[in-house]
Amino acid sequence: MSNNIKGTCEQFCPEAESKLRIKEKLLHYYELKNGERTVPGLLVKAFARSAAGVKAPRTKDLRTERCLQKTVEYLLKDIVLDKRRPYNFVYDFVFDRLRAVRQEIVMQRYDEKQTLKLLEPMVMFLAYSRYRLCEEQIDNFDPKICNQHLQECLKRALCCYDEIDVQSLNLNELNRRSFLEAIYLLFNLGTSEALNRALGLPSEVSKSEVFASAFQIAIHYHQGNFYRVLVGIQKLPHILSAIASLNLQKLRSKVYLVFAHAYNSKQLMVPTSFLSRLLLYEEVADLLADCKYYNIKICDDNKNIQFMKSDFNTNIAVMKEKHECFVDKKFEKVYLPEILLLKRL
Amino acid sequence: MFGTLQNYLSGIQRSWSAADGDSLASFISLKDKHIMNRNLYVESPENIVERILDPPIDEIVSAHLKVLYYLGMEKRDFMQAYRQQSQCIQSVVKMLQQLKDENWCLPIMYTTCLDLRILAQKCEELGSSSKPGEILEKAADCLMSCFRVCAADNRSSDDDTKRLGMLNLVNQLFKVYFRINKLHLCKPLIRAIDSSTFKDSFPLPEQITYKYFVGRKAMFDSDYKSADEFLSFALRNCPRNFPRNKRLILIYLVPVKMLLGYLPKKQNLERFDLLQFHELAVALKEGNVRKFDEVIQRHEIFFIKCGIYLLVEKLKFIVYRNLFKRVYNIKQTHQLDLSAFQAALQFVGETDMSIDETHCIVANLIFEGKIKGYISYSHNKLVVSKQNPFPPLNTVS
Repeated sequence: MSNNIKGTCEQFCPEAESKLRIKEKLLHYYELKNGERTVPGLLVKAFARSAAGVKAPRTKDLRTERCLQKTVEYLLKDIVLDKRRPYNFVYDFVFDRLRAVRQEIVMQRYDEKQTLKLLEPMVMFLAYSRYRLCEEQIDNFDPKICNQHLQECLKRALCCYDEIDVQSLNLNELNRRSFLEAIYLLFNLGTSEALNRALGLPSEVSKSEVFASAFQIAIHYHQGNFYRVLVGIQKLPHILSAIASLNLQKLRSKVYLVFAHAYNSKQLMVPTSFLSRLLLYEEVADLLADCKYYNIKICDDNKNIQFMKSDFNTNIAVMKEKHECFVDKKFEKVYLPEILLLKRL
Repeated sequence: MFGTLQNYLSGIQRSWSAADGDSLASFISLKDKHIMNRNLYVESPENIVERILDPPIDEIVSAHLKVLYYLGMEKRDFMQAYRQQSQCIQSVVKMLQQLKDENWCLPIMYTTCLDLRILAQKCEELGSSSKPGEILEKAADCLMSCFRVCAADNRSSDDDTKRLGMLNLVNQLFKVYFRINKLHLCKPLIRAIDSSTFKDSFPLPEQITYKYFVGRKAMFDSDYKSADEFLSFALRNCPRNFPRNKRLILIYLVPVKMLLGYLPKKQNLERFDLLQFHELAVALKEGNVRKFDEVIQRHEIFFIKCGIYLLVEKLKFIVYRNLFKRVYNIKQTHQLDLSAFQAALQFVGETDMSIDETHCIVANLIFEGKIKGYISYSHNKLVVSKQNPFPPLNTVS
């Protein structure tokens, strides 16, 4: 394939695939007309592995750039806002259809700018979903796979950024880049790879407010100043706060361990008010539950904790991520599609 | 040396028959003075070379002459020269495979590999690649093909094995990987050398270079104890007459040592033009956070360029520890008020320091063993041990 193959299809789903899937009744819930089980609605091209034996796609099987753009917008607006089914259901559908878009980016050999336009919303979607579904059962949502795809999309986006002269970006594009660089840094909190990348970024990006705050958190994390990390996470905007909060359980367990050494005493106590303020618990009950999990003694009045080096259970796994009130509150205030499509950051 | 092409080739033929690797190496080195000889700049030397030289050395020499040709052109063509040099390496690989149970030819490999890396670097500097690092990465592939032949030579006797050439190549590869920031690729190489039976019998200069790079790698992996060990070995064995290399080693060794609780002497730093670290050490010793941050900021570019920015940032908690020790020395009591620490921190520049954060910092220092004692939250006090409340940092693991 020496020449770029260019799609001509203006529909979300190429005709051949529509025909086949309608005939074979292979329609997804969101592709059926509202309330009717058999009437096809709006179809979106599904992901299929490019494998040996499959015919090379014809131009009419591939969508135009404008159409891909529309597809992404449709998925991240109409479908994401569709409240008929639980979000993990939405996620499965959008994830698969976006993957098909990603495949076409490669097939049609889009250049960096074209790629980024489509890829950036995907990163946002995956990052958001990673948080939104973090409490789901494994059968409903696999965080590992989501992590993998998020990391892959992020790295692809970062490679694109590296190819484009930062001077040539307009303010909007620069903001998008800063935001994604910040996601990468916080998603990979504590890795020297991400930190070293951050150190090498052009000043246009590293000086941007959103990236600088993420960088401060990463440096404090590196230094071991968890206090500043915890304070910083709360101040981040929506998706960044969400991605960073995925580290909270790990951080909390670390703080418990440190405190078990520092406040180690048979008589002395530490008030729950201090701990829940520090560790960003909305409800004291959650704090107490976590303490119980790590085998930290809770005083009878439920108002104080007694730390003992020897009590702390170091063998137990870090708790699963959960939704944090301060993050959820941030999402209440925003119109989600606007964020996912990076119209307003 | 400035003879005809004929003379040059018969010289090579003589060394070849005598199996003299070192002189052959200088015949095809880009650092040797024969490269000034314009008679050797031939675009298609194959015919005449094949007439005089036997395979497999003929291909190597042909490629070398082409490199000279492209470098001798009016407008030097580094990219073409680089391409020919990789061709040359391919022929070297063939030669290595053909000369079984012999290793006198290793110097040829060393020279050609070194020149390849330098040419690749030159091309990168000139921006000849579409992506930065691309040419060096290709060059590393080339070097790897030599490495594989050497590493696989486990049938010949210990004196004749090509495995003795591994470390030289590994060092070349390190130089490439560190330059293009692909440190993860170092791991299999390190494993290959560490598990080699010749680990300690490689030439000392090669061992020094090796230790320098594995020391840096350990530093990146936050394994400071090993970094200290490796870099110290490199420094101890690096000869006096290589001050530039000593300086390179010190750039990494000094901050690692500082993290482990040793402060550098000013005069040593002065000698190697590394006074940045002296400023850092002074601030560190005083526990002066403001000064410390200021020094880092002032030398930010230097620290980032050397790849030690994250390391020096890590010293922050030691600054805190030293400050707290001073508070303890002034107060002369074993029950220290945490608000005293808070006030001290605010005084040295952490103006937005809250009492909660002060608790966290002290707690962390206790956890790391840098302070011996415990905190009483209700009394807002740190109770330190009567013996050695601030143990010397080099004793804290």
